[in-house]
Amino acid sequence: MKSTPLRIAAVAGAALTLTLAGCAQTDGGASGSESAADYPSKGIELLVGYDAGGPTDTGSRLIAEELEKKLDTSVTVTNKPSANSQVAYTELAQAEPDGYTMSAITFPSAIVTVLDESRGADYDRDSFAPVALQVVDPTAVAVAPDSEFDTPEDLVKYAQENPGELQATTTGVGSNEHFALAQLKEAADADIAPVHFADGSTKATTAFLGGNVDILLANVSDMQPLIDAGDVKVIGVMDAERSPFLPDVETFTEAGHDVEISSSRGFAFPADTPEEVVEEVSDAIGEIMEDPAFEEKMTQVGLAPSYKDAEEYAAYWDETEAQFSELLPLVQEEQQ
Amino acid sequence: MLLDGFGAALSPQNLAFALIGCLLGTILGLLPGIGSTAGMAILIPLTLALDPAGAIIMLAAIFYGGAYGGTITSVLLNIPGEGESAITCIDGYQMTLKGRAGVALTTAGIGSFIGGTVATLALVIAAEPLSRLGLKIGPPEFFSLVLIGLALLVGLVGRSVLLGIISATLGLLIAMVGIDPVMGMPRFTFGDPHFFDGISYVPVLVGLFGLGELLATSGQAAPRPTAPTLRELIPSRMDARRSAPSIARGTVIGGLVGLIPGVSSAISSLLAYSTEKKVARHRDELGTGAIEGVAAPETANNSHSNAAFIPLFTLGIPASPAIAVLMGAFLQNGITPGPTLFTEEPELIWTVIASLFVGNLLLLLLNVPLVSLWTRILAIPYSVLRAVIFAFIVIGSYAVSNSVIDIYIMVAFGVIGFVFRQVGLPLAPLVLTLILGPFLESALRQSLQLSRGSFSIFVDRPLSLAFLVVAAVILLASVFSASLKRRAGLPTDAEV
Repeated sequence: MKSTPLRIAAVAGAALTLTLAGCAQTDGGASGSESAADYPSKGIELLVGYDAGGPTDTGSRLIAEELEKKLDTSVTVTNKPSANSQVAYTELAQAEPDGYTMSAITFPSAIVTVLDESRGADYDRDSFAPVALQVVDPTAVAVAPDSEFDTPEDLVKYAQENPGELQATTTGVGSNEHFALAQLKEAADADIAPVHFADGSTKATTAFLGGNVDILLANVSDMQPLIDAGDVKVIGVMDAERSPFLPDVETFTEAGHDVEISSSRGFAFPADTPEEVVEEVSDAIGEIMEDPAFEEKMTQVGLAPSYKDAEEYAAYWDETEAQFSELLPLVQEEQQ
Repeated sequence: MLLDGFGAALSPQNLAFALIGCLLGTILGLLPGIGSTAGMAILIPLTLALDPAGAIIMLAAIFYGGAYGGTITSVLLNIPGEGESAITCIDGYQMTLKGRAGVALTTAGIGSFIGGTVATLALVIAAEPLSRLGLKIGPPEFFSLVLIGLALLVGLVGRSVLLGIISATLGLLIAMVGIDPVMGMPRFTFGDPHFFDGISYVPVLVGLFGLGELLATSGQAAPRPTAPTLRELIPSRMDARRSAPSIARGTVIGGLVGLIPGVSSAISSLLAYSTEKKVARHRDELGTGAIEGVAAPETANNSHSNAAFIPLFTLGIPASPAIAVLMGAFLQNGITPGPTLFTEEPELIWTVIASLFVGNLLLLLLNVPLVSLWTRILAIPYSVLRAVIFAFIVIGSYAVSNSVIDIYIMVAFGVIGFVFRQVGLPLAPLVLTLILGPFLESALRQSLQLSRGSFSIFVDRPLSLAFLVVAAVILLASVFSASLKRRAGLPTDAEV
């Protein structure tokens, strides 16, 4: 009698342990001989280089769920939250190119970890076969509700006349916000000093709301709750086109400044994955994203759907890499 | 409004969700490495089929349950489930060795309930002004606040200041590993990207406490934990009298620190424990199984977790990773958290707030009776339990980021923990600096970026100056009282 609860606890514990170990299990033993026509014949592992619950993870889990139905196989999300995804990318680059290991790819992390030599990345652009782009989330510029700035032009003009006086938040060295400031300086000669919150956007937002920093730079999706709360005034979006989430906010392009910075999320296989496989998964993701119900689901959690197929995504990747490598010296110079 | 909310939260259906959530959370929390945050993220899909109120109630319950699960392993097995219950290991496990595990768990449960309920009351009464208070803590103020924590360290150093400083310095050194937050250069990483984010502290703590203890008790004479009898589960009047002031202090500390977005609840429990070391009546007993050492930190971390809802509901800022996950659940249900919720979705928001009260109460009702079940774990022969614990901590370390390196880190720190025990180095200072270190560094460097390099920012801002003065007073007072006592031939504070 005495041992009954114990036994229950032990069984429950063992079951939990097995389940969790199972979650983390990689499908080992890839067979290279298998033909692409049989694909997929086993479960696919989807690596996510950030913590469970973050925006990249949320988007990936949404796709994984639907992909399971489309491809009729299991798609297991494995979180490898380390080094701004560098650990996940390294693992992807070294994985068997058989279509059973995929990873969420985020920009700028997939680009900056390659360009920044101090990070010693074991991979580069050519290590990956892009599959599809899921989300593009442009950087938005917000000021205090009572600020005198209303448009990108107001901000640019002030920053030109008072170089280095304004300060803006970033989420760390080499973050998209940091690159945004570099591009603003290059394209518009507007000099705004960064304050780095490598400890995350919550810290950045808090410091901004507390009146410590003049400007909050954040993804459009992160702005919505703050706008609803009346905490911020968004004065500009760093994109070519207006955001569907913020239709009334002018873009920097409209204001005549070529500043386009966003964080984007997509998926890739290792290089040399059979083309048919890449295409199959890319098309599957495309079909999933065409579904209005799925679009609605993504929009609800603040992810702006923005599908690109394998080819378009590859071109976008090259383009973005070129843009960032041009800006990198500006970002690094300021660290001296 | 709140009454209507209670009506909804107490509906059998929502009550059931809260109950399931508490249980699931507690079970997930038992495993180190899977905290309530990851637990919630993994279980979100389960909640999507529910109505918004039910989903959020269940997730909030998982959140509470997860925190309590970590306490159970800290007290019974000396395995900190998460940073926030690490400091509880010190006195909690000593109580277990004395056969007082039941008292420790019951007190932690009661303290958590009180802390959580008071913080939720604060949310109902004064959410708006409190959230503005949280925003007053910018980087410079936060730096000075963390300095108070380090000044309190003097109380934690144990019988020798030198050994304490060695332990604290080691903690800071570990905290230095990773990418420099302002220059972006990797430090002490051996070029391995696994270390770019620094050494995650769960494997370190699990190794130091859990594995260190396993190694240390391998000898014959080491004390083994024993299961308490039923009568020993209930705190005595003496326990109640001693823990009451600690619970009160823990509630205040956790509640205030919880208002600052982005600050982990581990900081609240550390500050609460350090404060006990300074002001509790029986402070000399801390470290040897004093009830205050469990009551204060456990109350503080729950008070913190509940207070962290205030910035979410008033400013729309997710104050902690767990709350960010909860915010994701709000969004998936088509609700944007923020002050507009009170006008746009009053029914839902008051139901959720009422369910926070209900969740805290359920956790108490669920866990106090279950304490006897949990403590039965100790009835397992220690030779068997030892193997189970080892398997447990290996899996837990792996689960932090699905990485084998974390297992190696855990083993390495297990050996370090063993050495610490052999030479009498105290663990508490290391835990404190390991967790406070990164916060201290970020705050310092952000402040200096804000001031463009001028240190005067710390004294120009009144709140920061006030914190600095408090830190200085604490430091001087400990030095002064130590030298006074030494002159009088009395044992000093620092001699435990």
